[in-house]
Amino acid sequence: MTREEIVKTVNEALCKEFELSPSAMKPEANFFADLGLDSLDAVDMVIVLEQAFKTKLRTNYEVGKIMTLNDLYDYIENLTKEAAKK
Amino acid sequence: MPTVNPFKKRVVITGAGAVSPYGAGSHLLAENMLEGKSSVTFNGELAAYPEMTSHVSSTVPNDLDFSYIPRHFRRSMSKMSLYAAAAVKEALNKAGYETVPEGTALFLGSTISSMETWVNFSDKYKKRELETVKTTVVFQVMNHSPLANVAQAFDIKGPGFGNSCACATGLVNIGMAYQFIASGLIDKALCGGTDEYHPIMTACFAIMNAASSRYNDAPQKASRPFDEGRCGIVCSEGCGMLFIESLESALKRNAEIYGEILGFGTNTETKSISHPSTECITECMKLALKNASLSAQDIDMINAHATGTAAGDAEESKAIAAVFGSNKHVNSLKGHIGHTMAASGSLELIAMLDMMSKNRIAPTLNLDNIDPECAGIKHILQPADLKINAFLKNSFALGGTNCSLIVRRYE
Repeated sequence: MTREEIVKTVNEALCKEFELSPSAMKPEANFFADLGLDSLDAVDMVIVLEQAFKTKLRTNYEVGKIMTLNDLYDYIENLTKEAAKK
Repeated sequence: MPTVNPFKKRVVITGAGAVSPYGAGSHLLAENMLEGKSSVTFNGELAAYPEMTSHVSSTVPNDLDFSYIPRHFRRSMSKMSLYAAAAVKEALNKAGYETVPEGTALFLGSTISSMETWVNFSDKYKKRELETVKTTVVFQVMNHSPLANVAQAFDIKGPGFGNSCACATGLVNIGMAYQFIASGLIDKALCGGTDEYHPIMTACFAIMNAASSRYNDAPQKASRPFDEGRCGIVCSEGCGMLFIESLESALKRNAEIYGEILGFGTNTETKSISHPSTECITECMKLALKNASLSAQDIDMINAHATGTAAGDAEESKAIAAVFGSNKHVNSLKGHIGHTMAASGSLELIAMLDMMSKNRIAPTLNLDNIDPECAGIKHILQPADLKINAFLKNSFALGGTNCSLIVRRYE
């Protein structure tokens, strides 16, 4: 999966779930300060992404450190690279 | 008529909001009822179950738009909370408010929490798919889900009471709010009941042989309180909310007054968990009269609970005859919209307030042949030009809760 495909999949999933404007989906956008999400949304975001990428995310400790969209793109990109190695 | 409140404060209704099978808007209730329109339709989902005897329901139009409720609040709302939010917004606006005034209390409940959410949750539990359940589910299945969701959405910081007494819920909440204001504990309240339809609701009544089953091919005839051919209730949904306050508060801000609440009576049936007795209903209505310091002669009409069940309608008819004799006008509005469960008390009260102001009262729809067991009272059989100054509204519930509320025209 390319970086562009990851960005597209993440943005589409989050825009749909949280009714966000595509124009707000800037890589530096902070989930809480810029996109207006809260702790409940953070849990639901993991569920939505697990369904979008068909992989488990919540068992990974690093998920809790993700603060921006760019953090999320990086994290999923690393996951897909790791999965490809296996 | 004397001033009647046994407490210090007089309590008036200054706002009303409704979501019903006719749509969103309290005006739709009386308008459609006076035109004799039934909202009951064939329900294919019920018909798909061979063992289901009832194939009819009455549901809120599914094209209502609730997107104006911010996602942050909407995410934890099942349909019953969406209906309640819309009804609260209308009631507030009618009362002259854009936002909920400080100190307003909220009295709001449902019969049960969202069945649809529970069924979906249970399905995922059985399939071991709990990791796909979103966090907001819990806020839809809490017993006081509508209360919590509406309080959050409207920033209602005052006292919150989620009274839940099955089908009497709406009127119980209005009665409780009335008593709190009358006694001076609070000055303003939003109050009512809300419910959302699920086929399991019909199944619950079908199991007890209390769901309408003989008119599946003629749904609009299916809900027929007091009629010889009645065969049970038609389950329905919606929300009715009132904004009520002390008369002092309403006069101070020059608010329009839709009616004055004069008295409330409530008691519990212990002879049967499934239907009230003549004796208990009689006592309940007498309690309301006593609470209002009124006699039966002061009441012009009774808006009955009558749901279309064989036993319930007969018991209520006998009780009305025992308290009021045979000369007081009686109707039930469930022939039009079915039984809106927790919302029935408040929705029907809102319809009655509108009809009282129009001096035009809807009959009991589908009351073609009065059952001899329901005779001895003055049924309204056609739309009637009646000037009603005071009426008593009944609501009873599975489980034994009875309540009666007395309202009069404010002049």
